[in-house]
Amino acid sequence: MQTVIKARGLSKSYGSTRVLDGIDLDLMPGRILGLIGPNGAGKTTLLKAILGLAPAQGELAVLGLNPHTQRTQMLQEISFIADTAILPRWLKVKQALEYMEGVHPRFDRAKAEVFLQRTEVKTNMLVRQLSKGMLTQLHLALVMAIDSKLLILDEPTLGLDILYRKQFYNALLDDYFDKDKTILITTHQVEEIENLLTDVVFIRQGKLCLNSSMEELQDRFVELQLTDDQLAKVAGHTPIHSRPVLGGKAMIFEGGDREFLRSLGPIKTPSLADIFVAKMHGEKS
Amino acid sequence: MQDSWKDDQPIYRQLHDKILGLILSGALKEGEALPSVRQVASDYQINHLTVGKAYQELVDAGLVEKRRGLGMFVLAGSQQKIATSEREKFISQELPNLIAKARQLGIREAELTKAIRQMMKENT
Repeated sequence: MQTVIKARGLSKSYGSTRVLDGIDLDLMPGRILGLIGPNGAGKTTLLKAILGLAPAQGELAVLGLNPHTQRTQMLQEISFIADTAILPRWLKVKQALEYMEGVHPRFDRAKAEVFLQRTEVKTNMLVRQLSKGMLTQLHLALVMAIDSKLLILDEPTLGLDILYRKQFYNALLDDYFDKDKTILITTHQVEEIENLLTDVVFIRQGKLCLNSSMEELQDRFVELQLTDDQLAKVAGHTPIHSRPVLGGKAMIFEGGDREFLRSLGPIKTPSLADIFVAKMHGEKS
Repeated sequence: MQDSWKDDQPIYRQLHDKILGLILSGALKEGEALPSVRQVASDYQINHLTVGKAYQELVDAGLVEKRRGLGMFVLAGSQQKIATSEREKFISQELPNLIAKARQLGIREAELTKAIRQMMKENT
């Protein structure tokens, strides 16, 4: 199996600010990777490097190709939805389909049309007549009809209401994804995609502070609620995060002696959002 | 609607238990096909590996079988198998919890057995 994205020591600076700082990443086919980080952490810069839109130092191969020197070839196998609407407002939906058919060798127009028939988007509408939700549906129709190996989504559901967001992910899983395809998705709405992901990466100040499969997370992180009089028992075990709850504290441990923690009370796997907060908070201090 | 998952167990485990419940109640009959992995992944908005793992557990337990190119099918006898193992689980795991809770609340044995006897009668 060919690695879809392979990065080693990927770095980039703007002036004296390091926006990417030694990123190592391996993404295999058939995975859905969530790239999660606060604003300004380097998410977009990393996506730009992967798409060959901005150069970076270090090693980077996408589908075995160099995103800069072999960009044309690479782009035939990749589709991308940017977080900002980029379609010209005067364009008709029909023209967008015609354009894609003309420029992209792997675009299946019939597939896009079938998809659009299930939405409120009509082919004779202008882009400027579309609501934000309909615009996302159009973007999705255009990229899903490309038989690509890698789909990159940058904040795909930002500003969409819950109905459109659900439709979006349904379509993604139902019409696009299969075991030979790979999705890379950035979002702030961690809770919403948590169960969708097979892998997750947290990025903070240009560095990856978590790079794991979702399955490994279950072995790596433990959340335990302790009453105030139990707190002394975990003195030797440092939680990465602790928050007050009724009658005690909820603590998240990374690694740690699972059996010992289990003896203190019911343990569970913390949510991705809680791990995110713990990781972002923890490395600040 | 988004089904809510409990956070004390992995999702594949809960999905697995949901399917056990469906077979046990007869909603999913022996010989019938399970919905495809893609279908379940899309309906619940969970990844295919999670669904695959739940299905694999059912295969390993001898409750469903994979037929090449056709999907997963509920095997004959699985309803009975599940009923037996769920009964054991109830006695060995759920009953002790119930009794521990009764102890914590200071409910005496006589009081508890009387209530149980009463309820069992009402429901027959």
